[in-house]
Parts: sequence; structure tokens; C-alpha cells
Amino acid sequence: MPTINLRGAQKNYGVNAANAVADLDLEIRDGEFMCLLGPSGCGKTTTLRMIAGLENLSGGEIQVGERVVDSVQQGIFVPPEKREMGLVFQSYALWPHLTIERNTDFGLRLRNLPKAEREARVERVMQALDISKYRDRYPSQLSGGQQQRVALARMLAVNPGVLLLDEPLSNLDARLRLEMRAELKRLHNEFKTTIVFVTHDQWEAMTLATTIAVMNEGTLQQMGTPNDIYDRPANRFVAEFVGSPPINILTFGKPGISDIADKAETYFSKNYPKLRGIGSIGLRPEAMGYVAKQKSVPEDSFSAEMTVTGVLPTGGSWILELRSKNHTLFLTTHALPRIDSGERVFVHAPPEAMHVFDGQGRRVSEADTVLRKNTYN
Amino acid sequence: MALLSETTNADTPARGASSAPSAWQTWRYRLKIALREPTTLIGVLTAVLFTYLIVVPIISIVLDSVRVQFGHERRLGKDVGDLTVYYLDRAFFSPVATDLFWRPLLNTLTVALGAISLSLVIGTVLAWLISRTDMFGRRWFATALIVPYMLPAWTFALAWTTLFKNRTVGGQPGWFEAIGLTPPDWVAYGRFPITIILALHYTPFVILLFGSALRRFDSQLEDSARILGARRYQVAIQIIMPLMRPALLSSMVLIFAKCLGEFGVPYVLGLPVKFEVLSTSLFRSIASRQTGVAGVVAASIMLIGIITLMIDARLVREARRFVTIGSKGSMNRQNRLGKLRLPATGFAAAVFIVSVAMPLLTLVLSTVMKVPARFTLDNFTLDYWIGTDLHTVALQTGILLSPDLWAAAKNTMMIVGLASLVSGVLGLLVGYVVIRTPVRSLSIYLRQVTFLPYLVPGIAFAAAYLSLFAVPRGPMPALYGTVTILILALIADQMPYASRAGISAMTQLGKDPEEAAQIAGAGWFRRMIYIVIPIQKGSLVTGVLLPFISGIKGLSLFVILAVPSTDVLTTFSLRLVDYHYTQAANAVVLIIAAIAYFGTLLAQKLTRTNLAEGLGS
Repeated sequence: MPTINLRGAQKNYGVNAANAVADLDLEIRDGEFMCLLGPSGCGKTTTLRMIAGLENLSGGEIQVGERVVDSVQQGIFVPPEKREMGLVFQSYALWPHLTIERNTDFGLRLRNLPKAEREARVERVMQALDISKYRDRYPSQLSGGQQQRVALARMLAVNPGVLLLDEPLSNLDARLRLEMRAELKRLHNEFKTTIVFVTHDQWEAMTLATTIAVMNEGTLQQMGTPNDIYDRPANRFVAEFVGSPPINILTFGKPGISDIADKAETYFSKNYPKLRGIGSIGLRPEAMGYVAKQKSVPEDSFSAEMTVTGVLPTGGSWILELRSKNHTLFLTTHALPRIDSGERVFVHAPPEAMHVFDGQGRRVSEADTVLRKNTYN
Repeated sequence: MALLSETTNADTPARGASSAPSAWQTWRYRLKIALREPTTLIGVLTAVLFTYLIVVPIISIVLDSVRVQFGHERRLGKDVGDLTVYYLDRAFFSPVATDLFWRPLLNTLTVALGAISLSLVIGTVLAWLISRTDMFGRRWFATALIVPYMLPAWTFALAWTTLFKNRTVGGQPGWFEAIGLTPPDWVAYGRFPITIILALHYTPFVILLFGSALRRFDSQLEDSARILGARRYQVAIQIIMPLMRPALLSSMVLIFAKCLGEFGVPYVLGLPVKFEVLSTSLFRSIASRQTGVAGVVAASIMLIGIITLMIDARLVREARRFVTIGSKGSMNRQNRLGKLRLPATGFAAAVFIVSVAMPLLTLVLSTVMKVPARFTLDNFTLDYWIGTDLHTVALQTGILLSPDLWAAAKNTMMIVGLASLVSGVLGLLVGYVVIRTPVRSLSIYLRQVTFLPYLVPGIAFAAAYLSLFAVPRGPMPALYGTVTILILALIADQMPYASRAGISAMTQLGKDPEEAAQIAGAGWFRRMIYIVIPIQKGSLVTGVLLPFISGIKGLSLFVILAVPSTDVLTTFSLRLVDYHYTQAANAVVLIIAAIAYFGTLLAQKLTRTNLAEGLGS
């Protein structure tokens, strides 16, 4: 299957409107399970629809394999019906006047395949998605989860090279969602299609994707493996968007605003005097620990004394809310916390757990080499 | 991998492909997309068609009012077509202006205001009783009280004359006259009966609009006020009324706009005492070939109509601010009426009797009685329906045996049927183009131009058609007296409803099902045939049926554009009224009413919706 390339893709609605997608470069390789992740309104759905051809470009071009399918400069536009892709809509968009079988069969009929082959392929996908028992029903007679399967089956039947999914799981309840995630992963392996998946749910992206592209305000923030995104967020937006509870940010260079940040600044100038121009650092809640006595703080770690103001069980793990004079931090732990609100503890974080960003919020990669010298990199 | 993830960061290196496209390139690309599918082409064609059918006639009649008309060259010392203020002067400032314009205007306004006040009082009470109380038979009343709206307004005018006609006018006397109680002129004709009848006819408007606003009202808002200690009347005055105001104002404005174009009722009841409103004055100007003055009056009616409906549009926008989101609390909470339960039911029943039962019964009885108001067995006959050899000058058979009726029925079916079919299909097409075309200006133009006739009362619109198509223009032959002009005018007149139905159907459908088909590989024609049309079958049927019903009971367009050879049922019955064939006229009106009523029921059944949404036809 070919690689999809977006080069400088742009979309704006109206001349003076802000760009829904601004100058986007994206490469989706064969067999990839790519997640477009971002908050609502970040342009991820628009990007997906541009790939499908449902949205035309305001600038730039899209290439599939050797073939340019969309280009403002060259005046090329291949309509969606000729792009040979599959798209599962958020609303499923099943045709209400056709039975499940006819819905699944629709694309095959258009391709004028012989009846026997059509029947075989419809049978295969209906079996694979476990919907053959509903073949004579109409979409309105199915539940959300079943409709979702039909929407998938309808697209898989024509065996598209690329399968585009627009938040297909957002209308399902938690349990069904989990099932469908596993299902999608299985289908990806079975049908060997390239999948582009749009979601605002970070866990969905983390669990499914081989590559995640994080978007915000129409621009690509970072592209990488799920681990990359989490462990090496390219900027503060990515760091803060991915992770729950969110990453704790300590902003440097503003003395008096936060005593913890001031303390961290002192820690850095003492231990890592060569690192300059730090705008802020980020500490993941689960990368921090707490101890009752200062002497138990691990060597080299940054630490600060804080008051426990809340212990929130989340089932299997706990979120601690900690306050100093003018700063609040969150910390997660998997061991039952044997402390109560009001107790004072020492919060500590090892250097390798620190994400360092410059004044513009970009990751300082130089800091990683210094701070993470003890870990694999 | 780590390195890669950092280089894909915001600041990107210069690339050939992403340099901004030139204006020419962007334009070429957009054009390619716009012309890729027939949508835009269809849009352009329909836009041209509606410009010709809607905009041009309106411009034409406005021009008529400021240009010298045929036959006035001598008096004005100018050639036909030269600019003149003569007609404006004549209609607004001359000694005859009072009769031509100012008194009709005053009459229109007072009748409309009277009708509005009366229907608001009756309508709000009924709406509240139906939607928020435990009155007996609420459900039945909810349908029964809407019936006057399904019938042509002048059905009631004919019922009124049947009862109250006095010796001022010749022909068969009214029932009261016949039993010796001569009703005074002010009861029999003119302002009083017109106001009452319009009020009764438009009360359903208030019931529907106000009632649906009441039902949508979130009772949690009410409960919150009660919990904070407000009494019932305080809740009513401080919470419910302010939130209901947009619905009330909107129904007022709509009734006003409808009264403005109402022709049948003032024609039947106003003529005997020379009580003129704007629409009848316009009719008289046209009948006496005063095209210039007719232009002025028609343009004035249009202007008032446009202003009124713009106010309405504004109010609707205002009302949207008040839309209470979340229908969780909007359950049908009922107030217990207690001791008032029976009187309330009595009130609703009384309104039903006065506005539906009595008029219809009167009409039915009048068609089977030889002498008015004599209730003896030998006075009843079916001769007026199916008799032969009646001793009358014309129409010597019962109405059902008269070839004239069937000719008129055939004309009606053909003219109204064809026009509705065409406008239904065009409506869906317009809906499709408006929602789908990538050319925004085309979408906006089509939406507005098809809505324009709504702002123009039917009688003024008919006058506009007459002004444009009465004489040959360019390749178009003179159309006056032909079936074509009626069909064209009807199509244009019905486009607001048809295109609105089409647009809302396409909006409801959304673009997903069609895009899914596109992704599956279906081109434009296949999507139309396999997806869009099958899904929209139901709305297409109603898009044809609703214009058909309103066309059947429509009078104002036909009365100006029809000639005896293109008689339809409505004009046929009006002619019978003019010749004082009371029984026959009433019978024809009953036939029309029956078609309109059962048609409406059918349309409701097909769409499984309430009439409230199709308001205005």
C-alpha cells in the first residue's frame, strides 16, 4: 500500500478566517496505525477529510504513492469516489433505507463485481465483525455498537488501501469502547490496511496507535510513537495535553509566584549550572515520590516540603493533592498512601523524570542528554 | 526516533510545494471543484429561473407604478413607458386617494389589529388549556380547534352571508332575514364580520405557535422560581410571560401579514357596503385597468409585507436567544383546573362550535334547503347537488352534474397539481444546491430568492405577474388567459414553502450518508438515485402535497390571473357567489374544504409531524 504525504496542506473557511489547518506536513507510511490526536477544533477531523477528499485544500498538496490526488498549485483534484479509501464517520452514516446486508454490499455493487464474489466478501466481513445475524435488519433497529460494526464492515468490504476513522468510538459506552479498541487492533493486523484514526481521547491514541500525531490549532505539534509522545513531549502543549492527571509545570524566572518553582530553579543552578535558558520544567505525577523525612529523599533528586491536602482514590491508585505556600502539585501512587490530609511530606523527583522546556515552551533536548545520562536513550 | 520527533516541530524548513499558491491557481482549483459535479450547474439554472419567475415580475410592477401606462399618453403628454409621478400622486395625494389607498389602508390596519387582538385573547387561553391543563378532551380539542386553519377563510365568509345576509343585497335572503329578523348592515357586512372571521380563522396560528412554545418550556425554570418562593401568578408574570413573548409577537406579525393579503373574505363581505381593504382596492384597480395605480397599491402592499416579515425574522432571531437547552424538564406538566375544569371545557367547545361546527353545518344545510331557514321536511332537497331540470337561468342541474364543476375541478387538478409537482421537485433541488454547493454566494442567493414570494401577499404577486406577462415581451408571448401564467405564478408563489421544505429535509439528512456513498465510490448521479432520492421520498411527497393543499384553497392568485376558460374551483365558486347561486357556491366551497382538510390530514400522517412546522401555507 502506498504512503500518504501531505505537503503544506492548508484549509481555511473564508478569506479572513483563521486556518483550520495551517501548513501541515504529514507522512503516513504503509501499514501504519496513525492517530491524529488533539483537543476539539485542532483541525484533526479537517485533516482526515482532506485526505479523503471531502474537504478541498486552500493550499498545498496531497500525494498518495506516486499520484498527486490534490494540489492547488497544479489544479489537481481527485474526487473522493476515485481515491479508493474507506472512511468511518463519527455518526456512522449508515444509509437508513438499506438493510445491513445492502449497506455492506453497496461499494461492491458500484465496482460491478460478479455476484458470487460480492456475496463471499460480504459474508467474510460480516463474519469478521459478527453482524451476519442482523443482515436483514435496518440500521435504526441496531444498537450503537452494532451500527458501528456495520459502518466498519461497509468500508472493509471494498478492501480499501487506507481506512480513515473519525472518532468512531466516541458514541459508545466505556465497555463497548474497550471491546471495539481490541477489535480495531485485530482488524489492523488481519486486513493489513493503513489506518488513520482521529481522536481526542489520549488513552485511545496510546493504546491503538503505532504513530501518534499531536495537533493543536491547525498545526502539527509532534509526531512519534506513543512512548515518544509521553516520554519526550516536544513542547509544553504536548506535555500538558497527554497524561492524566496532567503534568505539573514549574515556570522559571518569575520569583515569588511559586515557591516550588523558585526552589527548582535553585536546584538547577546548583546541580546543572551549564543548563541555561530554562523556561519551565514539567514533572509527571507518577514520576514523583514522597517521603516523610528529608533524609530519605534519594540522592540527586529535587525535593520540597509540602502539605497533603487531599487523598483521592481512583481505584487501584491514588492521587495526592499537595500544597505549599503558593503552589499546588498532583502526584499519583500505586501503593496505598498511609498518610492523611494535613500531614507534611517531602516530595521528590529524580532528574531523569524532568522535562525541560525553553522560554517558548519547546523541549530542550540538550537537557535530556544531561539529565537522562543514567537511563537508556 | 527521538530525534525525528523533535525535528517535526513547528518551525518547518522551506519546501517547494507549500509556497503560497497564486490567486490564479487558487481560482482555477476552486473552479475545478465547483464544476466537478452538476450541483453548481443546477444551482445556476434554478437561480436564473427564479430570477425570471420571482424577481422580474416584482421589478416590473414597481416600474409600472412610475411609468406612463397604455391609454394615458394623451392626458400626461408623454409616451408609454416614460417616467411619471402621476400614479403615485393619484394614489397618495389626489382627491380620489382616500378611496384608492388611504381608507383601504386604514380599513386593512383596523381589521388586522382587531383580528389580532381577538385571536390572541382566544388563542392564548386555548393554547394554555390544551397544553398545560387537565381540561376534558385536550387531545381532541388540540386537533379540532386547528380545523379552521385547514379550511379556506372565505368558507366562513360564505357561511356568514348564508346566515346574516339582509335585503341590502339581492338573491336568496339570509336565514335571519328569512325568519323576519333583519340583521343591520354592520352585522351583515363590512368591518365587523370580516374582523370576526379573520380572528377565528387565524386563532389556530396562536394555538399552534404559542402552544408549542408552552410545551417546549422547561418546567424546571418554573420549579426553580417556585422553590425560591414565587407564587403562581408571580411565576406566570415574571418567568413564563417574558419567555413566551417572542412566540406571541411572532404569531401577531404572521397574522398581520396574512390579513394584509386576504382577499376572499373582504370581497364577499365588504363589497355590498363598499368596505374596501388594500387587496380589494388593488383588485378594483386591476379590474378597471388602472395598471399604474394598481402598481402603486401592489408595491405598497409588498412593502408593508416585507417590513412586517423582516420584523418577524428579527423576532425569531431574538427568540433563539431564549431557546432553553436540554429538554429534560419540558415534560407536559399539567395544572389542575379544579372547579374550573368544566367551564374551561365549555369555553373550548364554544369556540369549536362557533369557528367550525356552525359554519360548516350552515353551509351543508344551505345546500340542501330550497328556502332559507325553513326547517320543514318538504323544504329539504338534494336537487342542488344531484338534481336535473332546475328552473334557473343557468346551472340547471345539481352542482355535481354540472359540467362546469368538473371542468373547474379538472383545471384545478391540472393547474395546481402540475404546479405543486414542479415546485416540490424544484424545492428539493434548491434544498440540495443550497446545502451542498461549494459556491456560497449561489447558496445564499437561491435561499433568498425562493423566499421572496413569502414577503409578497398573493394578490400583489398576481398583479405583478399580470404586469409582466399580460403583453408579449421578447421571446415570451402574452400569457394572460392561458394556463401557463397560472402555473408559473403558482410555482413561484409556492416556492417559499417548497424550498424551505427542501432545505430543511437536506439539512436533516446531513452530509454524512452522501459522503459515505462518495467514499464507497459512488459518483453524483448514483448518489442521487441510490441515496438521496430514496431517503428523501417522504419529504418529496409532502413537498408536493402541502403546496397542493394551499393551492387548492388559494383564491387571490386566481382571481386576478384566471379567466372563465381557466376557471378553477375557487374562482368558479366566487362566480357563483356573484350570480347568487348560493346553494351551488356553498357546495363548491364545501368540496374545496373537504379536499383541503383531508389533504392536510394525509400530509400530517405521511410526515408524522404536527402542522405547526408547516405553518404559513
